[in-house]
Amino acid sequence: MSDFLKGNFTTENDVVDTNSTGESLEQRFEREALKKLGGSIAFVAKKEVHWGDEDES
Amino acid sequence: MNESPDVNSLGMQLVAQMSDITRDRIQALALENAHNNLSKIQEGVSLKALREETAGMGDKAIIIAAGPSLKRKHVAEQIIAANYQGAIIATESSMLYCLRQGIIPDLVVTVDPHPKRIVRWFGDPNLTEADLRADDYFERQDLDTSFSEALRTNDEILELLNKYGPQIKIAVSSSSANTVVSRAHQSGMQVYWWNPMYDDPDQENSITRALQTENNLPCVNAGGNVGSAAWMMANAVWKKQRIAVTGMDFGYYAETPYRNTQYYYEALALAGEERLDELYMHIFNPYLKKWFYTDPAYMWYRECFLQMAAFTNNQTFNCTEGGILFGDNITFTDLSTFLSA
Repeated sequence: MSDFLKGNFTTENDVVDTNSTGESLEQRFEREALKKLGGSIAFVAKKEVHWGDEDES
Repeated sequence: MNESPDVNSLGMQLVAQMSDITRDRIQALALENAHNNLSKIQEGVSLKALREETAGMGDKAIIIAAGPSLKRKHVAEQIIAANYQGAIIATESSMLYCLRQGIIPDLVVTVDPHPKRIVRWFGDPNLTEADLRADDYFERQDLDTSFSEALRTNDEILELLNKYGPQIKIAVSSSSANTVVSRAHQSGMQVYWWNPMYDDPDQENSITRALQTENNLPCVNAGGNVGSAAWMMANAVWKKQRIAVTGMDFGYYAETPYRNTQYYYEALALAGEERLDELYMHIFNPYLKKWFYTDPAYMWYRECFLQMAAFTNNQTFNCTEGGILFGDNITFTDLSTFLSA
């Protein structure tokens, strides 16, 4: 980004790039969106109930 | 348009990842909630005890979920008019609908660990306008549109639950947030505790097995969502042989704007406005000869449910009269036929 943008003043503090992962803004949006997209709870194939004591799964 | 979605579509690619996405989203929170609920669980009653309780007469059960067909098809009115005597199991999201219609379910089920949203179905004593502004989940959706009058509706369900709570049995998952647990206890509901399965309890190092060792609760395969969990309660706890599901659309009517779907903002972030048609999946229901559409989460629920139905010996009747839940091992029929059979 610094190749394209040139400021016209000097900042009081050093500006640190916090995007250490190298992800684009779009990728970060996608990652955050994916986190919210899932179901309410898990699904386990070929299982009904596991009573725990006298098991009859 | 194809009658079922292309397996390579963006939507179906997300469906394939939905199990992992769900685990990443909820598992840590659900287990943290289970840990926080431990003292209440130890003082409370296990779902095991519910097996000894009678639920309705005969081998029939009706599941009432809160999909958009619930009101359109007048499910409660039909049940009452038929003088139905079998079991009724409701999701927490359809509890307001049931109580308004004069139906006290034999069992209410809750499972989602969300700390703010789920308690809304119970009436949130701490709900503020700021909460409503921060989260328009209920207002956008075609679940129970009366929540658009949110504060007034919140007061109504607080009052209804305070009145009828002591008559209601509720299967509360250990994953439930303390807001939900407190409200269930505060309103006098009869709480039965259970664990949702997170993985195969028969496998080594199973998280589910470890949780069961800690709290001694039965572990139930919840099928990804509360409606499927309710179906599993009828099947595994009460061994009902003929189970009808209502309000289990797992999708939206074709005329519903995308904006009114549960994951609209996430869909926008992932696909952008111009590619939303690739994320939402359009499905032709051959029984109703109508188009519906769905999102990756609901599509995943459908796939999970079809697997669950294939694995049991009971008969499942989809009496939703809308939506996308059809396939092998499910009889798609109308509610009046099920009620009169």
